[in-house]
Amino acid sequence: MKDVLILGIESSCDETAASIVKNGRDILSNVINSQISIHQQFGGVVPEVASRKHIENIAGVVDKAFKDAGLSYSDIDAVAVANAPGLVGALLVGVSFAKGFAYALNKPLLAVNHLHGHIYANFLEHENISFPAICLVVSGGHTSLLYMASRGHLKLIGETRDDAAGEAFDKVARFLGLGYPGGPAIQKAAQQGETGRYKLPRVFLDRNDFEFSFSGLKTAAMNLWRKSERQGNASVYDMAAEFQEALVEVLAEKTIRAAQEYQVHTLLMAGGVAANQRLRNMMKERSKALGLQLYYPALNLCTDNAAMIAGDAHYYYINGRFAPLTLNAYPGLWSL
Amino acid sequence: MLILAIDSATPVAGVALLTEEKLLKEEFSNYKKTHSETLMVMIDRVMKECECCLDELTAIALSIGPGSFTGLRIGMATVKGLCLAKSLPLIEICTLDAIAHNIAGTRALVCPLLDARKQEVYTAFYDVEETKPRRLGQIMACSPEQFVNAALSLAREQERDRLILLGDGFYSYRDYFHKMLGEKMQAAPLHLGLPRASAVGSLAIDKALEGDYADPLKLRPLYIRLSEAEYRLGKGEL
Ligand SMILES: [Zn+2]
Repeated sequence: MKDVLILGIESSCDETAASIVKNGRDILSNVINSQISIHQQFGGVVPEVASRKHIENIAGVVDKAFKDAGLSYSDIDAVAVANAPGLVGALLVGVSFAKGFAYALNKPLLAVNHLHGHIYANFLEHENISFPAICLVVSGGHTSLLYMASRGHLKLIGETRDDAAGEAFDKVARFLGLGYPGGPAIQKAAQQGETGRYKLPRVFLDRNDFEFSFSGLKTAAMNLWRKSERQGNASVYDMAAEFQEALVEVLAEKTIRAAQEYQVHTLLMAGGVAANQRLRNMMKERSKALGLQLYYPALNLCTDNAAMIAGDAHYYYINGRFAPLTLNAYPGLWSL
Repeated sequence: MLILAIDSATPVAGVALLTEEKLLKEEFSNYKKTHSETLMVMIDRVMKECECCLDELTAIALSIGPGSFTGLRIGMATVKGLCLAKSLPLIEICTLDAIAHNIAGTRALVCPLLDARKQEVYTAFYDVEETKPRRLGQIMACSPEQFVNAALSLAREQERDRLILLGDGFYSYRDYFHKMLGEKMQAAPLHLGLPRASAVGSLAIDKALEGDYADPLKLRPLYIRLSEAEYRLGKGEL
């Protein structure tokens, strides 16, 4: 069979990204233009600022994806773009560019759900993932557990009631003065601290469902921090360590419980928070103890990228699921 | 010469195809649907009905603002995609210039106004005695009051006894302008009141002749205003 080359475009939050993937597996280029340094001065992603950077960078990022892959524009078979969920103004830049680019090249357009893309990042690197599986999706905007009957069949079995895990990391990191983005900042501080010195709750672990809640954990951390500051024995490292542990333990434990309840042998992790080393290690230990097969993407494929979009789109391409020129962007659509 | 002109700076979406001598087709839409749902379909229709392909184009002209931030970016991202893929030259046209170009051959001071929200308008003043508009002074984001004062003082200074107001910013504050400007004010006829892609294309012809092209890798919309967050950061509020 002839090789299929797909250009992926991703602009849902603060990374402008483009990638060319061959046959849904070989990443020929993976360009990511991160805006982190710009948003750091605001203490978080500012949607209008993000959209302005996307429109400035999009053409250059796509052009570089072709140069890095050593391909010319007409070599590709289709253009894929993330159209939900995310910041709608940011998504629209990628979607509009993808439409113009695909139309001009007379190639089909493919629409990919960003979260589905995160999940698919696992398939870029691992062959023969067996189903059914439980997938933990953890990012700045989402914390969800999914039951996957097969590659394309996903069912939401639980999600966060309030803050997403990444959001909680960001808010607590900002509160502790550790900077943005919060996940990497807390992980780094936690390496120098000890868990257990501060005592934070493991929220919802006493419940038998697959729901999460991190808003209360965040408040508890803040209160405990203020109290220890007053007492003059505050340690930002110990607090970071305990906060990370409390959050990660709930994520890991609920994921393992879901695997047991649904009797699956495969676990997947996806999204930016899946890059957290403590989460990866804890999941590794627990799944090994139970003989479960655990997958998670490489670090650079956990955070937002376009290879996951191009890779996921391969599946739509071979099934002829093309998007129309009327394709729109949606801020909060799962549509799995 | 063959120019495809695109405008999505305001709630209006417009696409036109023209040569130096002839406007071949124009689509204008000011109805409900978002630009991301309409614009590319309009482009496709204009090209197909004129039996034209992108390779035949001399350039694509784009209305780059001021206007709605999201609308501007939808148009610009689409055009960047088209131009990059086909190595087509891109011509940037100021949206206010294009609206002013709806009027020609009068001594009146032409004042295109765009609704900038937050009780402000984007505006500039134009002399349109010749066929092409000539901008007088800076593009501003200002309150309707500031606009009225600036317009009256410029009209006095230049001895122009009439002001022609147009654009969606005019319709938003029509009663106020009427009250403040009275007999001096004239509204543009309905079919000339909003941005037209054909006017964007018409202005682009001169630029194409001069080879005055924009770089699709670098072009940004003409926002005039900072984002709210940048503004607050500048004021030290963040
Ligand atoms: Zn993401």
